[in-house]
Amino acid sequence: MTDVPLLRARGITKAFSGIMAVQHVDAVVAEGERVGLIGPNGAGKTTFFNCLLGVIPTDQGVVEIDGVDVSGLPVHHRSKRGIGRTFQRIELFAEATVREHLLIAERTRRADGRLWKDLIGRGRPTVDEIERCDRILELLGLVELAEQPSEHLSLGQGRLLEVGRALMTEPRLLLLDEPSSGLDHEETVDLARTLRDAQADRGFAVLLVEHDVEFVADFTDRCLVLDAGKLIAEGPTGQVLASDAVREAYLGTAGAAS
Amino acid sequence: MLLGASAGSDLLRALIQGTPAGTVYALLALGLVLTYKTSGVFNLALGAQAYVSAALYFQARVTWGWGIVPSLLVSVFLLAPAIGWVLERFVFRHLRTASAVAKLVVTIGLAVALPALFDLVVGFQSIAGQTPVGIVPGGATVFYDPFGVYALSRNELTAVAVAALAMAGLAGLFRYTTVGLHMRAVVESPRMTELNGIRADRVSSFSWALSSFFAGLAGVLIAPRFNTLAAPDFFNLVVIAVAAAAIGMLVSLPRTLAGGLGLGLLIAVFQTFLPRWSDSWPWLNTVRQNITPAMPFVVLFAVLVFWPAIRRSRAASDPLAGVDPPPPALASLSRSRGLTVATRAFAVVFLTITGLTVFFRADASWTFVVTQAVILSLIFLSITVITGLAGEISLCQGTFAAVGAFASFQLVNHMGMSVLVAALVGAVIASAVGALLSLPVLRLGGIWLSIATLAFAYFFDSVMVKFSWVGGGQKALEEGTRLPRPTLGPFNMNDNRTFLVLSIVLLVVVAFAVVRIREGTIGQTLRALRGSELGAQSIGISPARARVTAFAISAFIAGLGGALLAIHQQNVNYSSNFSPFASLFWLVLVVSLGARTVEGAMQAGAAFGLFDAVLLKGAIFGWILRSPERIPSFFPLSPTWTYVLFGLGALQFARHPEGLVESGKRRSTEKVEQWWAARHQGVEPAEQAAEPAEPGVIS
Repeated sequence: MTDVPLLRARGITKAFSGIMAVQHVDAVVAEGERVGLIGPNGAGKTTFFNCLLGVIPTDQGVVEIDGVDVSGLPVHHRSKRGIGRTFQRIELFAEATVREHLLIAERTRRADGRLWKDLIGRGRPTVDEIERCDRILELLGLVELAEQPSEHLSLGQGRLLEVGRALMTEPRLLLLDEPSSGLDHEETVDLARTLRDAQADRGFAVLLVEHDVEFVADFTDRCLVLDAGKLIAEGPTGQVLASDAVREAYLGTAGAAS
Repeated sequence: MLLGASAGSDLLRALIQGTPAGTVYALLALGLVLTYKTSGVFNLALGAQAYVSAALYFQARVTWGWGIVPSLLVSVFLLAPAIGWVLERFVFRHLRTASAVAKLVVTIGLAVALPALFDLVVGFQSIAGQTPVGIVPGGATVFYDPFGVYALSRNELTAVAVAALAMAGLAGLFRYTTVGLHMRAVVESPRMTELNGIRADRVSSFSWALSSFFAGLAGVLIAPRFNTLAAPDFFNLVVIAVAAAAIGMLVSLPRTLAGGLGLGLLIAVFQTFLPRWSDSWPWLNTVRQNITPAMPFVVLFAVLVFWPAIRRSRAASDPLAGVDPPPPALASLSRSRGLTVATRAFAVVFLTITGLTVFFRADASWTFVVTQAVILSLIFLSITVITGLAGEISLCQGTFAAVGAFASFQLVNHMGMSVLVAALVGAVIASAVGALLSLPVLRLGGIWLSIATLAFAYFFDSVMVKFSWVGGGQKALEEGTRLPRPTLGPFNMNDNRTFLVLSIVLLVVVAFAVVRIREGTIGQTLRALRGSELGAQSIGISPARARVTAFAISAFIAGLGGALLAIHQQNVNYSSNFSPFASLFWLVLVVSLGARTVEGAMQAGAAFGLFDAVLLKGAIFGWILRSPERIPSFFPLSPTWTYVLFGLGALQFARHPEGLVESGKRRSTEKVEQWWAARHQGVEPAEQAAEPAEPGVIS
């Protein structure tokens, strides 16, 4: 094991028609680490996140996975290099059942889908593939819903399915985009518990973009704070959340003083 | 020497010459932008609306002998706005939440149905070679020549003046009137406008009527340029208008105006100066002779592919769109296993009986018609792949089929290849063309992809076919693009029945392949992409690669079917089989019957090949009553009804993307299942509950 981190972002900068959404933000995530990314509304969290994934092109800065520059690569290539993600507004495959979501991801990971295989009838899922899917479904507690169309899931279940779909690609880093948004307190706690179990089981690294400070405090070891497009604090989650800078960013100067 | 000494005056002449056409293009393009802005509908039926007004005007003047003013009043000031109003009120108002692509399909259905409906209702028949009359007396005979370089006819001058007046009126309307202000508000967000107490629906109705009025005006003004009034020419016009609108990014009225005018001028300039190039590069002759009519399509294609901004302008979304329910997916949805089994069983029984009857009892003409239906079913499977699986609307399937047909024609005639091998090679070539075409257009997505395929179809139609290495050139014009029937071992396909068997075998093979692809990795990948492109990318699916594959497969099937059709007819018959307008009708037919399933394609093939012969000519009643004499006297009906019925059938696409037959079957299956469940109460309620009642509804 070398000291090259799993993910390294350097000097990420992005402006939208003159407004600096993200300015020179650096971030590092190591293998198996749980990192939070917090900040008030409009701090540039989602922009930063999208820059990491390649959903939007960066103006400046470099994203490296295992020390390899992936800045110019499209989203699906970054996924193949081990970055999985979930979405704030869930993006499930309409018309597909829960299990089919995972099967599609599994098939894509194996990258052995060929036209001739489809034509000779070897395109159907194998026993091995179904087993692998069911292990993940079990891990996430979705086994009972395996045959349900994704349209029938609740928002919380949909989030879990997104996690499961991402896990099927065997990511080494999972980017979670505001997983608690739209969920009530109880659902959030459930989601956090399941996520922790899954992470303990699989050992992937997590970068969590989140509003809910409690969730972040609970789930992450280390934390980055963005405010107005700049990185204002970084360190162990407990310390960072207690720091004045963060309280000021969230609550304004008056809040920090009190 | 490129330019002569008189280049300056030639240029002036070209500009004067191009202005009348340019202003009319602009008028039509403005009509297009109006409805796109206010209701998000990219109205490809606008050409049909222009045609209807022009045809009514012609009918009133020439056949009924009316004067200019009443004819104009009825055709342009009454009928045109009325059509626009009706379309908005009864069709598009209910499709507000449908996806842009679904709306596009609906307008294509209208483009097919409206002219046919008009011809039937009014009893209009275009008279070949009879030039439509203008809206001023002596329009075609009185000329003015203000600059001494080009004489404009009175018709042309009137067109410029009227179009300019109409556009000035539109500008004034937007700037100075309340309804103009409301229209601008509705463009931003119909929902928000409604919250402010303005009836967005009414504003949309008004802009549809206005747009239709512009179309009608453009139709009447441009009609004198044609030798014969024919609906496809007017569809052609709307493609030109699309090019102009694309230059205006579909939102800017001034830029659309400039685009329309610019296209008219560009075409005239090309017409003037291109002939001078010919001597230095003889191989350019074919391009030179045909590029002028193809200019708008080249411009359109180039604008779409090379102008990155247009991709970003994809869909104007209402900030309050979140309150609407999500639109149904383009090609839907899972169905119950019971229905699938029942459908397959029925298909096997039905096809066996029909097949045996045709094989042993039918005469040559019926065998011919049935074979045609079988081959068209095969071609339509290509639409099942591209629209049903990949969810893209391709408007150039006829062109892919033509590539296959022409390629086999060339291979057989110039290289002496065996006919069936040539058909396969032709399919491979079509597949390559499909893949190549898909590369630049893929990034467009949505309606722009459809429009780009349409531009390609027209480009092929007006330029490529004319090349001797594609369409056979002069020799083919004289002798036809002939293809022999093959001989396979002991089977001589000159016998129609043997060829029918070959067609059925190929259809079954392709149908099985399509089912396998649908259920295999490629089908799953395409399904994921259709469900959520972002989600699919996040697990490592490359959208471009998947779609190129889909295009290649679809073009392969179309190419194979096209070659087969040419072998069947022993002639390519390009203009009657594969014209761009044919592609449109194919799409309309398949989506209105069922784009998702293999049997949908077969039903469409049967409808295309047999609807006229069996239903409209009343043959079926002859069979039922066991005597051709007893066919009711109102048969035969006009074959035009086919266009009307299936064109209107496509209106259902936005709400029943699975197709009319399919949705009917599902509804009846549900009823049967409910009835079954009621009879066996408590026996299998669990299974009933697991069945999604209304697929696609988010709970």
